[in-house]
Amino acid sequence: MKVRRPVASALAVAGYIVMIVPILFVVATAFTGGETLRFPPEGVSLRWFEAALSYEPFIGALVSSLQLAVLATVLALLVGVPVTLAIHRGHIPGKGLVEGLFLSPLIVPELVVGLALYQQLMIGLRLDNFETLLIGHTVLMLPYAVRVTGASLALADPALEEAARGLGASPLRAFFTVTLPLLRPGIFSAALLSFVTSFNNVPLSLLLQSRDFRTLPVTMLDYVQQSYDPMVAAMATLILAATIVVAVIAERTVGFAKIFGGINR
Amino acid sequence: MSIAAEFSGVSQVFGDFTAVDSIDLAITEGKLTTLLGPSGCGKTTSLRMLAGYSAPSSGTITIAGVDSTRTPPEKRGLGMVFQSYALFPHMSVAENVGYGLKLRRVPAAERQKTVMETLDLVGLAHLAGSKPKKLSGGQQQRVALARAIAIKPKLLLLDEPLSNLDARLRVQMRAEIRRIQSETGLTVVLVTHDQDEALEMSDDMVLMRAGRIMQQGSPQDVFRGPANRFVADFLGYENFVTTADGRAIAIRPEHLEVSAATPAGSADGLRLAGTITDVAFRGVDLLVTVDAVDDSGASVRLLSDVRSTGVDTLAVGDTVTVGAAPGRLVALAD
Amino acid sequence: MRNRTAALLLLPGLVLLVVGFLVPSLIMLFSPPGIEPAQIFVRFGEMLTDPYDLRIIGRTVGIGLIVTVICVSLGFPIAYLLARSTSRWSGVLLALAIFPLLLSNVVRTFGWLVVLGSNGAIGQALLALGLVDKAPQLLYTELAIVLGLTQLFLPLAIISCYSAVAQVDAGLDDAARGLGASRTRTFWSIVIPLSLPGIVVAATLVFAGSVTAYTTPYLLGGSSQRMLSTQLFSYSSVTIDWASASATALIMTILVFLVSGLSSLVGRRGAIS
Repeated sequence: MKVRRPVASALAVAGYIVMIVPILFVVATAFTGGETLRFPPEGVSLRWFEAALSYEPFIGALVSSLQLAVLATVLALLVGVPVTLAIHRGHIPGKGLVEGLFLSPLIVPELVVGLALYQQLMIGLRLDNFETLLIGHTVLMLPYAVRVTGASLALADPALEEAARGLGASPLRAFFTVTLPLLRPGIFSAALLSFVTSFNNVPLSLLLQSRDFRTLPVTMLDYVQQSYDPMVAAMATLILAATIVVAVIAERTVGFAKIFGGINR
Repeated sequence: MSIAAEFSGVSQVFGDFTAVDSIDLAITEGKLTTLLGPSGCGKTTSLRMLAGYSAPSSGTITIAGVDSTRTPPEKRGLGMVFQSYALFPHMSVAENVGYGLKLRRVPAAERQKTVMETLDLVGLAHLAGSKPKKLSGGQQQRVALARAIAIKPKLLLLDEPLSNLDARLRVQMRAEIRRIQSETGLTVVLVTHDQDEALEMSDDMVLMRAGRIMQQGSPQDVFRGPANRFVADFLGYENFVTTADGRAIAIRPEHLEVSAATPAGSADGLRLAGTITDVAFRGVDLLVTVDAVDDSGASVRLLSDVRSTGVDTLAVGDTVTVGAAPGRLVALAD
Repeated sequence: MRNRTAALLLLPGLVLLVVGFLVPSLIMLFSPPGIEPAQIFVRFGEMLTDPYDLRIIGRTVGIGLIVTVICVSLGFPIAYLLARSTSRWSGVLLALAIFPLLLSNVVRTFGWLVVLGSNGAIGQALLALGLVDKAPQLLYTELAIVLGLTQLFLPLAIISCYSAVAQVDAGLDDAARGLGASRTRTFWSIVIPLSLPGIVVAATLVFAGSVTAYTTPYLLGGSSQRMLSTQLFSYSSVTIDWASASATALIMTILVFLVSGLSSLVGRRGAIS
């Protein structure tokens, strides 16, 4: 077959190789029977999966990460959805400025936010590291809640609420029976993005770790630094599998491109 | 008369769908040919194959005597006006019109001259510096036309060029395109689903359906002598009856007369008894629906356009006679 | 919605934003514990003249620029091919390009350890082919960081470019071809100029991401190839040098704000012309 656009196709292939191939190598080494991160792997076994799943620091961190991600997501939505409503349906002065303010955590480098919270809240105000992490992650997820639900609210015709009011619904009832159901895809997308972003976050969680409460990515990062065995590859492969499940759910429900379309200006 | 372009046994198949089914078609030099038909009949697909945007699954396309079946669009030297106009939004009107000339390495001064002449031809010289977005739909359409003409194309291809314009502008542009065609002497192929447009503009009319050509000829010949029921139906023949000896006949509604008198035995032409089921007032005329039984014994619903003056007597439920003069009966091939 | 209702809805968010983000960030940047604001600016000035610090800044900006150029030149063709393709595979390929965004940076970056490490795929392959006597050290190099960051940010570049190209009417490609432009010419004179806003967004996101990323320079650059982010971490948790940490954070923040401002300026000018 003749390739129609040889240069573009070659660049595209190179791009996919850089994006995908390293991930495949992680999976390949996770199944090794050998002692080290070596390629090609020596034999095939599941021993490193067993090791990863019985390694207490990983499992503890996994539980911590899940707790943190769920709580931060719920909090970000509880705080963020009302903000979206106020921005899009209220007549507040300086609307653009307010929205910009809520999106600003996206612009400031996460490591800088992490340092600020570490220094001011954890050391300065002596907050617990879990509390600080929760505040940090929630702040970081706020832009997703505001922007993604905002995008679906902007699509919803305000006349629908007015129609509900005209039919006798109170403002609150109109919100819960008309507006909220319309926002559901947006809220779902925002929740998914927030959860994944929080779960994967390193820069913020890095400085805010303590011996009792560390997230999984930070624990894995530490482990890689200390020892060079394939257990991290096994853990990474498990995370990969879970992420694929999340991606399939996302694709089946709201559609992949839509979710990420929301965060692109 | 020489042939500007020719399709020989051309088919286009997408998966299990045959968009164009082995058509043979000659486009006459210096004439305006329309491809007419309902959506999905293969007219746009045929035009895109002629322009080189899609390659036929089989068959050959010859342009100016040269087999061009596999020639890419940029090597064909045809001018195309797209339904959406496809004006380059980042270029001014003049830059749009001059784009093809620039690609042909026409020197700047000469290019400028041609651009202005072409814009003059379409009456837009004063907007040369504007961006396409600032123009009205009709003006954009003219720019698209100028851009296609500026490269002195072997053929000018128009894909539903008037469908995005409002009704009045559309009628104006029909005359405009005819004028430009006769001034430039270009061979034009126009795709449309609008029979009025086709009748008014064409030298040669090609009626298509389901990827096949149903009839080709001058507008007069096709309109007065539709070859088959599809063509007749598409061109507004509303009444189809079968004679006692099994011939299929089509009659236009304006040629079908309704009278209160009872049928007077055998006569030339058509004469059937029926009952009025609907009378719709349409200003100048009335549209009268009559249910009748034709000579083959089949129930038929007939439509008649009757002058509204002096026929206030027609009412639903009346028993009437419908008829048409022998010259008004069009025999169909199938 | 009444003004009071709107204010009530905004309040929790505002409090969280102010207490959990704005105030701590501002204090940290300009007046960390026990440090006078003036000291930070002195340190800031030193960093811009000190050869060691300058090398780190230079490496960060340089790597950021290289990664930006690579991501746009790989990401745009991918976006273009996907947006223009009618194949049913294009959906799968698009999903495959977006998917890494959901995947942990640690997992993605870890792959390069396996590929580039001394026992890794490339080293072992070179050894097996007899091209080298000893597996070369590819890890802890700038090349490793560039590869890792490219992998990380290519999906972002693809999405931004994709939404831009998808908005360019494919009919314009046809029109240009019909007027005599080759595929290449059409690409450069029609597709690229019209998708420029998306390319600018892509470049901004990639650059800002690259100069602030931590995981990748930490894992692939190690202590020999410090970048601003790894340096910032070391100031704040190893040496606990608040003045240097704040000055570094300031440099990083200014860099990101500068590119964002620049790109919105370019975007606005593009919108006017």
